Amino acid sequence: MTLNQRQMVDNDRSRFDFKDEIVYLTQTKRGLTRETVEEISAIKEEPDWMLQFRLRAYEHFLKRPMPMWTDGLDRIDFDKIMYYRKPSEREEKSWEDVPDQIKATFERLGIPEAERKFLAGVGAQYDSEVVYHSVKEELSKIGVVFMGTDQALKEYPDIFKKYFATVVPPEDNKFSALNSAVWSGGSFVYVPKGVEVPLPLQAYFRINGENTGQFERTLIVVDEGAKVHYIEGCTAPIYATDSLHVAVVEVIALANSNVRYTTIQNWSNDVYNLVTKRAHAYENSRVEWIDANTGSRKTVKYPSIYLRGRGASADIISVAVAGKGQHQDTGAKAIHLAPDTKSRIVSKSVSKDGGRATYRGQLKVAPGATGVVASVRCDALMLDDESRSDTYPYIDIQEDDTTMTHEATVGKISQDQIFYLMSRGLTENEAQNLVVQGFLEVFTKELPMEYAIEFNRLVKLEMEGALG
Amino acid sequence: MADALKLRFADEATVNRIADLHEEPDWMRADRHAALKLFNELPLEANPLFTLYVDLRQAKLDTIEPYLETGDAPEVSNVVPEGATALIEIADDRVVARALSPDAGRAGVVVDTLTHGLAEHPQLAQSVRAMIEGGASLPDDDKLAQAARALAPMGVLVHVPRGVVLDDPIVVRWGAGTPGRGLISRTLVDIGENAQVKVLEEQVATEAHATADDGQSLWWGTSEVRLGQGANLSFGAQQDFGPNTLAFVNRHATLGRDAHLRWALASVGAAIHKSRIDNRLVGRGSSVSQVEIGFGDGRQLFDLTSYTRHIGEDTTGDLLSKGVFLDRARGYFKGMITIERSAKGTDSFLGEFAMLLTKAARSVTIPSLEIDQPDVRRASHSSSVGPIDESEIFYLMSRGIPRELARKFIVLGFLEPVVARIPLEQARERLRRLLDAKWPSTSGEVAA
Repeated sequence: MTLNQRQMVDNDRSRFDFKDEIVYLTQTKRGLTRETVEEISAIKEEPDWMLQFRLRAYEHFLKRPMPMWTDGLDRIDFDKIMYYRKPSEREEKSWEDVPDQIKATFERLGIPEAERKFLAGVGAQYDSEVVYHSVKEELSKIGVVFMGTDQALKEYPDIFKKYFATVVPPEDNKFSALNSAVWSGGSFVYVPKGVEVPLPLQAYFRINGENTGQFERTLIVVDEGAKVHYIEGCTAPIYATDSLHVAVVEVIALANSNVRYTTIQNWSNDVYNLVTKRAHAYENSRVEWIDANTGSRKTVKYPSIYLRGRGASADIISVAVAGKGQHQDTGAKAIHLAPDTKSRIVSKSVSKDGGRATYRGQLKVAPGATGVVASVRCDALMLDDESRSDTYPYIDIQEDDTTMTHEATVGKISQDQIFYLMSRGLTENEAQNLVVQGFLEVFTKELPMEYAIEFNRLVKLEMEGALG
Repeated sequence: MADALKLRFADEATVNRIADLHEEPDWMRADRHAALKLFNELPLEANPLFTLYVDLRQAKLDTIEPYLETGDAPEVSNVVPEGATALIEIADDRVVARALSPDAGRAGVVVDTLTHGLAEHPQLAQSVRAMIEGGASLPDDDKLAQAARALAPMGVLVHVPRGVVLDDPIVVRWGAGTPGRGLISRTLVDIGENAQVKVLEEQVATEAHATADDGQSLWWGTSEVRLGQGANLSFGAQQDFGPNTLAFVNRHATLGRDAHLRWALASVGAAIHKSRIDNRLVGRGSSVSQVEIGFGDGRQLFDLTSYTRHIGEDTTGDLLSKGVFLDRARGYFKGMITIERSAKGTDSFLGEFAMLLTKAARSVTIPSLEIDQPDVRRASHSSSVGPIDESEIFYLMSRGIPRELARKFIVLGFLEPVVARIPLEQARERLRRLLDAKWPSTSGEVAA
């Protein structure tokens, strides 16, 4: 990082810690019942098939036991969560129409500047509804659809129904069932055949309101030979009681397409962030998940790529920083179902101040997936002996010509590096910060510039928290 | 899953019967009952990380009748084999050899069944009790280990007093394979301060002609190891049971200060070989080196679990598992390294490597780490699965070796690091022959 960049780094965390007084126009009662699900569907004036889908998911959610392989989820009180709230009556098309108070919130997050400068389109989620959304004319011209998922259900029913829940069915896990029952908001992206989206599509998601659940649902369909980069970044105000974020992200990469999905997750430290993210990669397509987690109380997220077509390739970079009271239970999955497919998983985690970073991943080569080449690399840094680091890789190989390598290391920051940097005039804090940023660079270098700066700033904030 | 380990003999009446037959002291009987309670409470796999990778579907435990009365055969050999210090051999439920070199006997070494050994050496009772009472020498979360603790009618005691150095190995040989029958046993290995010992455990088939129709047999045993300060144990094992035998093994070692343990474990036989190793590095500066191989064909399943817990400072763990699988054989390698907060200066490595030689073979590797102390010399694991390297084959072929022979050499070379650590020359040769025989005789024709 140059000196200039360092000056740009703003370490005022209170920038993210605010809560606006919002008058909610429509919201459901706390707790989850069959009536809640019906009410959400009715408010949204959905087709009957979606209501039936929600109810089927709700039934499954009730039946499905809580996962036992990670701990602490039993602290979630599903009865205290509000499953739907809608801050304004209709979706806004232009910035001027957005209510002032909400606009002020977004301004503090820097969305308008970002939009003016770089953005191809913005979908900003304020609680459970997309309130501000614009797609630049050039995107519409080339046929790219980028809108709220609710809107897409109405405007593009055919393509929506064809792909929705085909990658992550409600029965996949308890939380995909919950999301399927009460989902609201999220982004829908369709990129037509052969179209390359020239700039990243970006969506900011925000939680506001104590005990508000956020259950967005994102569906990205990239048609044959098309190319897109989607960026999702999260910030949330800090509250005392537990919040819940349960999202489902589905990506369909058709033949010869190229998809990159980047996430910077920075929920406040009271949020349970339980996300199912999965992509289906068809023939000769390429899918990349670039996933970073610095916030939340507990994140459970393993971006997955199912390699379904010959020659498809998967690249997953997963980064986690676990500070005080946090458990980042993250990782990646590559499921090889077709011949000549390739995958690479790189995971980097940092734990400190009693935080816990867990890598949990799966690499599977199914019968019939011949000629697979796969690698998994996990590195963990522990900054103090209050913290904990776990590595749980599952490697299941069922073809004899697979080439798979896996490496993992865990350790602390090298004191030699710290002494060297201090001898060059850095404080100990700055030196540690720089080493950690270097350790995470495999992720940072994949980001567009403004995100890289923001991410380094987040890391710096985390590090300063560490050193008090 | 609950039904997979259905034992119709896991009840209080059987426990009391075994304790009566062996006229066991009250504490031992109570210990069996405590274990039976745990056995009944525990799930087949208590670790939620591994529950998806347990498969006992091939095991027909409800068809097996365990031996309850054990004892000496009408004739018990007392000949020490060449190159060994001692031998105890048990065929099915009978002791058929019990031999100890005069030097070892004079040094106070005991190699015997637990019942007979304690009767001859009552002064060891206190020490045995301290070692095993309350389940101290077995994992309390392992259902199989608790079954052995509750129901074993046969125990072997290897006791080596402090300071005793034995150049030649102590051999413990087990024979199993009688259809419909099973032996549950425990083996206690107590090595005193600064003693240096080699132990070789051989598991062989007693019924050479058993076929698939004959019904299953069972061998279910433990190695419960305690190493005193500065003790040094090299423990080799080879399992070569017949194709209808189920082999369940628990090995558990507690290491004192500066103690060193080397495991070299090879498994070739059995329908299912399910093993769990627990290394507890308690003493400062203690170390364990573990190499383990499985070579499977047919429908064999090798379920090899290994837990290594670093507790003391400056401890070292170097663990290596290798598997080669043919036909529909499967290997599950489940590893867990735990570095506790107290274990500063740990050096830990876990490697799990597999070669799949046929399309339907399968390998699962789960090399896990749980770390609470970052001040380590090394904490890493590594795993790979791959076919035989074509460039290696090409090299050997360029030297005039036919393709199929080249493949075989490469596979045997992959396994040789374990073979080389087996602590008895004859045993090494025997293992090499076993591995060689595993190589399919028809595959040479296929390649030609």
